[in-house]
Amino acid sequence: MSKTSKELLNELVAKHYEDAAQAKKDGKLVAWATSICPQELLEAMDITVVYPENHAAAIAARKHSQEFLDQSEGCGYSIDICSYARVNMGYKDIQYSEAANIPMPDMVFCCNNICTTVAKWYENLATELNIPFILIDTPFNHIYDAPAHNIEYMRNQIEHAIHQIEEICGRPYDYERLTEVMKISNETAYWWRRACFTAQAMPSPLSGFDMFNYMALVVCIRGKKEGRDLFKLWCEELEAKAAEGKGPWKEGEEEKYRVIWDGIACWANLSPTYKILKKYGINVVTSLYPDAWTILYETNDIEGMAKAYTYYHANRNVDYVAATKSQRVKDFNVDGVIFHSNRSCKLMDFTIYEQQRRITAETGVPTVVFDGDMTDPRIFSEAQYETRIQALVEMMEENKKKKAQEGK
Amino acid sequence: MSIITKKITKLENIALNPAKAVAESCKETGKEAVGCFPIYTPEEIVYAGGFLPVGMWGGKKEFKESEAYLQGFCCSIIKTNVELGIRGAYNHLKAVIIPALCDTLKCIVENWKIAVPQVPSVAIVYPQNRWAAGSQEYLIAEYKRVRSELEKITGVLITETAIEQAYELYEEYRAVMREFTEVAAKYPQTIDAKKRHLIIKAGYYMDKAVYKEDVKCIIEELKKMPEEKAKGVKVVATGLIGEPIEVLDIFVENGITVVADDLAQESRQFRTVGRPEGTIWEKMAGRILDQRGCTFLAEQKKSRGDMLINMVKNTGAEAVVVMMMKFCDPEEFDYPVYKAQLEKEGIPILYLEVDQQMESFEQLRTRIQSFAEML
Amino acid sequence: MFLGIDIGSSSSKVAIVDENKNVVAAKVVNMGTGTNGADVAMQAALDEAGITLEDVKYIVATGYGRLKFDKADVQITEISCHAKGVQTLVPDADTIIDIGGQDAKVIRLAGGQVENFIMNEKCAAGTGRFLEVMSRVLNTDLKDLSALADQSTKALAISSVCTVFAESEVISSLAAGEALADVARGANFAIAKRVAGMCKRVGTGKKIVMTGGVALNDNMVRSMAAELGQEVTAVPHCQVVGAIGAAIFAHEKYHK
Repeated sequence: MSKTSKELLNELVAKHYEDAAQAKKDGKLVAWATSICPQELLEAMDITVVYPENHAAAIAARKHSQEFLDQSEGCGYSIDICSYARVNMGYKDIQYSEAANIPMPDMVFCCNNICTTVAKWYENLATELNIPFILIDTPFNHIYDAPAHNIEYMRNQIEHAIHQIEEICGRPYDYERLTEVMKISNETAYWWRRACFTAQAMPSPLSGFDMFNYMALVVCIRGKKEGRDLFKLWCEELEAKAAEGKGPWKEGEEEKYRVIWDGIACWANLSPTYKILKKYGINVVTSLYPDAWTILYETNDIEGMAKAYTYYHANRNVDYVAATKSQRVKDFNVDGVIFHSNRSCKLMDFTIYEQQRRITAETGVPTVVFDGDMTDPRIFSEAQYETRIQALVEMMEENKKKKAQEGK
Repeated sequence: MSIITKKITKLENIALNPAKAVAESCKETGKEAVGCFPIYTPEEIVYAGGFLPVGMWGGKKEFKESEAYLQGFCCSIIKTNVELGIRGAYNHLKAVIIPALCDTLKCIVENWKIAVPQVPSVAIVYPQNRWAAGSQEYLIAEYKRVRSELEKITGVLITETAIEQAYELYEEYRAVMREFTEVAAKYPQTIDAKKRHLIIKAGYYMDKAVYKEDVKCIIEELKKMPEEKAKGVKVVATGLIGEPIEVLDIFVENGITVVADDLAQESRQFRTVGRPEGTIWEKMAGRILDQRGCTFLAEQKKSRGDMLINMVKNTGAEAVVVMMMKFCDPEEFDYPVYKAQLEKEGIPILYLEVDQQMESFEQLRTRIQSFAEML
Repeated sequence: MFLGIDIGSSSSKVAIVDENKNVVAAKVVNMGTGTNGADVAMQAALDEAGITLEDVKYIVATGYGRLKFDKADVQITEISCHAKGVQTLVPDADTIIDIGGQDAKVIRLAGGQVENFIMNEKCAAGTGRFLEVMSRVLNTDLKDLSALADQSTKALAISSVCTVFAESEVISSLAAGEALADVARGANFAIAKRVAGMCKRVGTGKKIVMTGGVALNDNMVRSMAAELGQEVTAVPHCQVVGAIGAAIFAHEKYHK
């Protein structure tokens, strides 16, 4: 029998780390890159790309992050800054974890569409490891659409990055291979989005926390054929499940409430965050992540590529973000929104309160905020989380009753 | 009262009473004010429009209204600006300019539009990839967009000629400030840590044409005096701002003199000399592209550590004081890197975590005093 | 009979209502979750009502210890229970401020239902725990904090957002010779300010009431009113409002 996507997923994640280690041994170039960067540029030159954010999440999910946090905090990193960065700066020194390992980099490749913080983090890596720093700066879109001069600036940087990569590799750029990688990356993005959107079915065939698992892979395998094939398989499985009317969990486990989870998962507290939701029959049906890796553009369209990367949601204004989430509430029949006020991520946090007001005004669904962190296990409090989640359930239930009465 | 004491007292009072000072500057010059958020804004464009660019560096205010927009772990300068904005303290401003230089500021660009709709805002996004071709062109386009936004808000035409004149004035002001910091280091008793800070800060609330003359006068008067000996420890200050002011009182009590600074509110504003060649736009862009060692503008390799080491060596300072603004991500990211570099050079560091809402300084007093005793 | 039990971090509260939703017993025991406070409080309430556990038809548990209390038929959050209790005791109230040991909450009501609510950020000093720490530093009983604060002649500001730092700030103030009374009042104001800030996120309505043990601190209620610039009153039997709400829920759940 052929493998399920879940089996393939686990194999490919393991293979990703093994291949990277082997590549380093074979003397191949290694880049550390941010999670939603134009990896196409590196893949095309056969550079091995690993993702510190992913790696930090993997370490945290296996409950090993504290050691690395302690190391970096000992060097003077404030407990108030991004914990992905703290874990990674700790890993830079320790260079070994029982959880997962990545080879040390020959260059760092950063796209600041996800935050300004990554540029600071990678600047530190480039300085302390004395390696090249390749930056794709995507100016924050405080205006709804990116103006022409932004696109032009990003295009120039992509050209500049290509020159930097040529210099590092010591050979001319392989544009033919780039075309191919672009094509695959777009296909992967297509299947990723389509798979995530199967959650529109009622009940959703997809559990949101499963989506988090697959997300780990879409980060690091977007430009590879096996990645594309995996997401296609996953999508087909989900579509089949939806056609049979199957929900996210086992038989008899009902999807009572459908919510949006806003923000990064609490990797270090994954189990309680998931179990408490499941206990109340809450399924995370969507977020803005389905579109985070939906980087779609025409092959060889550099401006289109620039635009796709700068339009990552954290790089866009509140008008866009709140409207998109409100639309998701409607398209996915969502009952409530859970906002993760993530101590690591000021960019995602500091517009939460305004988003709450807009989403409730636009859709009438209740929202709730809880405090947590993606990789620092010390921030999250299980009891506080459960109280907030249960209170959300009580409000969603009231809404359902009201709707049922109006329906009569 | 001597001329120098008069001038210093004047500037101290201005720095300590920004609201009053801005009102008076507006009255004297007949200009209306435009608010300029930290860290960098193209003040020359504002000035060229016939407006008074004024600094917005927070203050000591309780958070009340801003709690509807921002969590507790937000940089206090920025949160205070939002607080004051909602309370109406900035209603007299024609507009504010907010640079999206960090993740917090990006969010403020967004929140301001909703929280303080009565004060129009103009955002500017500076380039971070300053080593790529195209960053100059991009920054110039941003400057032009800011000009056009300001024109739309104020209804005033801002010509290139006017910007050229404003730029010349600003270059002169920046040269005066560079000279001031050099000269002041030789007079640590007349210009103590607190006075040095207040004199520099006053410039944010005055017309630069008037301000630079006051500072020039102080420089001239200082030069007439015999050089002074420092009473205690000479330090280089780094960080966002040299406040709260109470910390500087403690510096003065303990004989700590600031002989040079790398503070965003102080020397980072004027330490980079403009390019002599090019169009007015290229010259303005050049100042940002050439700026080094500032955490708000990325570098291929961080130069801040080496810069601080050089500053210590060149000024004969004995230590570096870090004024760490709580919750300032960029500053907090730079610290471990330059800390290691300074330690390697054997330069002592006094790390002070501060915010603008601090009420109690006893712990800091103990730390500062023991540091001074230690050296 | 119907029983509601509110197991908080530092105390347990029990209320019993009869078929007509009249409160027939209400007890508070200063032992919270993790102790046998819940059982002690329940027994005391049963004794007061002159009944035994067999006479109770339905039990609703609320508060931080709700999930660990195995005698309950159902557990409901303190948000809904405080709303339910207030709806019964002060029907025209539309805004509830509840300062609990671990959490401060602001609840907005519309037609007696929870319309919106917010809770404090994890480490903001706006909770009852903060007052406990303060009373310990001031060497005063928690219940005497209000009277002490009433003697204050000047407003002393406490700015730290974190209880741990606020404690050291207060110790510094005392070392600097500040009066105990001024520090006590400062502590009340510090909480009032935090909670007023939270109110900004959901807004306040026309009638604001306070529930929870902290509402016994009269000076605190006045500080809250001063900060909000609106009248604020403590709900009668403020400590047991959540338990009463839970008991009424028990009644409703049973008769559903």
